[in-house]
Amino acid sequence: MNGRNGRNGTNDDEPDDFFGEVPFVDEEFDHDRLEEELRQAAAILDPVPAELRRAAIEAYTLHDLDARIAELTFDSLVDAIPVRGAVDVPRMLTFHTGGLTVDVEVTDEGLMGQLLPPQSASIEVLRGPGAGASLTADDMGRFACATPPGGPFALRLRTAAEVVVTEWLRA
Amino acid sequence: MTSERGPATAYDDRPYTRGGAVDRTDVGALVQSAVDGDTAAWKALVDGLSPLVWSVVRAHRLSDADGHEVYQTVWFRFAQHLGRIREPHKAGSWLASTARNECLKVIKSLRRLTPTDDPLLLDRASEDLTPEQSVLDSEEAAAQSERVRFLWQEFEALGERCRQLLRVLIASPPPSYQEVSAALGIAVGSIGPMRQRCLRRLRARLDARGAL
Repeated sequence: MNGRNGRNGTNDDEPDDFFGEVPFVDEEFDHDRLEEELRQAAAILDPVPAELRRAAIEAYTLHDLDARIAELTFDSLVDAIPVRGAVDVPRMLTFHTGGLTVDVEVTDEGLMGQLLPPQSASIEVLRGPGAGASLTADDMGRFACATPPGGPFALRLRTAAEVVVTEWLRA
Repeated sequence: MTSERGPATAYDDRPYTRGGAVDRTDVGALVQSAVDGDTAAWKALVDGLSPLVWSVVRAHRLSDADGHEVYQTVWFRFAQHLGRIREPHKAGSWLASTARNECLKVIKSLRRLTPTDDPLLLDRASEDLTPEQSVLDSEEAAAQSERVRFLWQEFEALGERCRQLLRVLIASPPPSYQEVSAALGIAVGSIGPMRQRCLRRLRARLDARGAL
């Protein structure tokens, strides 16, 4: 049947194999079993780290229906052709919602941005659940932060008209 | 090893109903409850789907640091979009494809930084000690422990495509083929045949070493 009858006929080296006594095990069945064994091995040797599970549970507080989401519409990592030989190119991101555009540039030195149309806003640089660093966009819509996000981040902007949060991403 | 699945039905006939402990049809209802403020529903979503997100991260062989950031980004964005997700019952696919996209971005950014080197750092097994791990460490389970490590070793040594496919397939609870498709960018219809090939290859490796 599958050329492994000798192995399938004995349980000696398969202490927790419920199916070893089945005389005719077709390949599909063997594959299901092998996949299940791998699944258990993964649960033992490569499980979701506990701190990540915790982080995902705590992320619930990021659920916020009051703010509008500014969607990522341009990411230089995906949408721009790399310059040959250029190192440390800034990551250029554009977020968009309704009439508001947020241009962000992330480098090793920090984060700079521009609101369009130009307008002042108070901005929070979120790194996860919990309060983030506070910035202000000036009347020209410019803002800057001296520390790079270095990980997941989102900007929460409070303009005169509305509250907007940029899509979470990693930079 | 326990298996919740009955014997020998071709996977190809039921690509959407694969699933173990968590019934995927509940996902839509859980998303809705979470939108309505039900913390327990959110927790159930995390328990049911975070192994899938993690397996996508691991399938892409990111470094631990990058993998952790991708995983968090995915869940932060899921929480952010909760209630705006168009097909709540497909939240698993949403998470899987978001994780894939973020993984690909990491790989791209590493390529740009180190154009000549292999950008992908080798991952290593998490050092978190799970209850299962503790059991394995007991003396009486030493033989089983060895067997599990042996199986894992052979799995890790499979070709990259097989390793990647299987790593996502073996998330617990088992993902649907739609979720696997979203996680790896491969057509649903090709998953069954690929899975078969990969498991056959793994079985051959195990047989060749005369174990399991």
